[in-house]
Amino acid sequence: MLKLIQNEWMKLWSRKASWIMVFLLAFVLLGTAGITKWVNSTMESVNTESWQEVETNELAYNRSMLENPELSDAQREYFEGEAAISEHRLENDLPPYEYNTMQQGVIESHVMMSIVTLFTVIIAGGIVAGEFSQGTIKMLLTRPVKRWKILTSKYITTMLYALLLAVVLFVVTALAGLIFFGIGEGTFLVWNGSEVVEGSFWLEGLKMIALSFASVWIIGTFAFMLGTVFRSSSLSIGLSIFLMFTGIQAVFLLANYEIVKYYLFTHTDLTQYYTGFMPVEDITMSMSVIVLFVYFLIFMAISYLTFGKRDVTA
Amino acid sequence: MNEQPLVQIKNLSKTIGNKKIIKNLNLDLYKGQITGFLGPNGAGKTTTIRMMVGLMKPTEGDVLIEGQSVTQHFEESIEKVGVIVENPELYKYMTGYKNLLHFSRMHKDISKKRIDEVVQQVGMKNRINEKVGSYSLGMRQRLGLAQALLHNPKFLILDEPTNGLDPAGIREFRLYLQKIARENGVAVFVSSHLLSEIELLCDRIAIIQNGELIDIKNVKELQQSRFYFNVEPLAAAEEILTGIGFPVSQHDGGLLVETEAEHVPGAVKILVNADISVFAVQPFKATLEDQFLEMTGGGEIAQAHTE
Repeated sequence: MLKLIQNEWMKLWSRKASWIMVFLLAFVLLGTAGITKWVNSTMESVNTESWQEVETNELAYNRSMLENPELSDAQREYFEGEAAISEHRLENDLPPYEYNTMQQGVIESHVMMSIVTLFTVIIAGGIVAGEFSQGTIKMLLTRPVKRWKILTSKYITTMLYALLLAVVLFVVTALAGLIFFGIGEGTFLVWNGSEVVEGSFWLEGLKMIALSFASVWIIGTFAFMLGTVFRSSSLSIGLSIFLMFTGIQAVFLLANYEIVKYYLFTHTDLTQYYTGFMPVEDITMSMSVIVLFVYFLIFMAISYLTFGKRDVTA
Repeated sequence: MNEQPLVQIKNLSKTIGNKKIIKNLNLDLYKGQITGFLGPNGAGKTTTIRMMVGLMKPTEGDVLIEGQSVTQHFEESIEKVGVIVENPELYKYMTGYKNLLHFSRMHKDISKKRIDEVVQQVGMKNRINEKVGSYSLGMRQRLGLAQALLHNPKFLILDEPTNGLDPAGIREFRLYLQKIARENGVAVFVSSHLLSEIELLCDRIAIIQNGELIDIKNVKELQQSRFYFNVEPLAAAEEILTGIGFPVSQHDGGLLVETEAEHVPGAVKILVNADISVFAVQPFKATLEDQFLEMTGGGEIAQAHTE
């Protein structure tokens, strides 16, 4: 199996597109940071509020949210935590991270994960379909290796590439922050459920990246399935990207129906449990993980069945 | 032939939709023998070959390689097979060497040394580190052969292997196949519709039409000795030759006599003694093409699969 993955990895990096996507990701991250820096330098400082004023406002907002009796447990916990952190800051005179610093950038690096999803989909949709369109599938399947092993090696390779992109995202975000803004002052505080403690921005950033990776994983698996079933990379990439954007919109349309709880895109964003932004309220992290896993099993079953049984005629 | 066949095709059938494309095909292939697989377009050559290498699943029947079933024990049986299905489609964006490295990793224990050896054998040494995309069709055919030979297969399957090779390339390819069949005892199965090529290359020919195997012949049998007699008067000469036991038929204003060369002078003497004018006697060679067309009824294209 290791040799098969080695093969797929070699083929992946023999194509220019794979390199271009990595460089493009780094370029976009560096570019965004650079533009932000430039825009800030041309504008006069509009933010004249002190951090104490900002925290006081936020505290008031969070408390007002907590008065809403229809709040779900997850949301209640989130606002309680936020309020506790604000109180703690004001009492102990601990300023938060300034905006546009490396530390803040690392914590928020996951917002760019959609680029990773996009690039992963491009690889996932093409890795099987490409063999069919080039005709190399005949060479690949007339080897003493069972088909499921070949498909597995392709899937693992796709996910390794996605992981690599996520690592690049994380590292380049940190680097870009360091180059353009410096590390920055301030303290990072977290609410551990009972008290406010100081947290590590590295760990927080990694945690959010890991949670966002669930979306990369499931949408990548979906594109992988489409590529295997339809043997057309453009179709599977196009359809996956289309669903990625419209699928999330559909959550709002379905929000009033029970079915939304079993709908894939309600659960793809696991960071929703930590950012307080939940379009559907009475779902939990464990439920999301289960739903995603069931979808994963279905996508994989379809991929393996079609790939294993198909008569290669092309 | 007494020895155990290396490859046995048993009752192989394939039905697509409700059309039976391959009908109960039975064929044995032996060590060191080159078997040609001949048939008009659409006869089922490619489908048969795809079932033999596991690209398609037979509806019925099986293919055994040294007694092991391709459908039941895919990995064990296919390890012994080298395949070129139609034009060798390789990874154009990688070098020839990386292509070979890629395929070598899918077999057991192929060393770098073995790759170099095969590269040398197919005469690709100077171009092996260039991208396949820059190769000519002939170069790709050579690389295709190299990937099929990497693991020293006991059985080599080639579908239309000489497409795109120049005459010198075809000749080299033919001699090479004959060499590995003879020296390494490899069984070779070659499909083609290039009749002249098959005739030169193969020891034995299996002919398929409309999904059925209609004949298996040894090439030597096909090349039986016949002589063309240009004589006058025809009827009298035919009577005399038939009278002394030669199989005779009329052909192109003369007579075709099935006989060995050593009997020809005797026959001529008898004819001359009977006052028959003998203008010419020459060996007659029917080409495989004539016989093929005869057997397949004019070589008509098989009926389309849709009815």
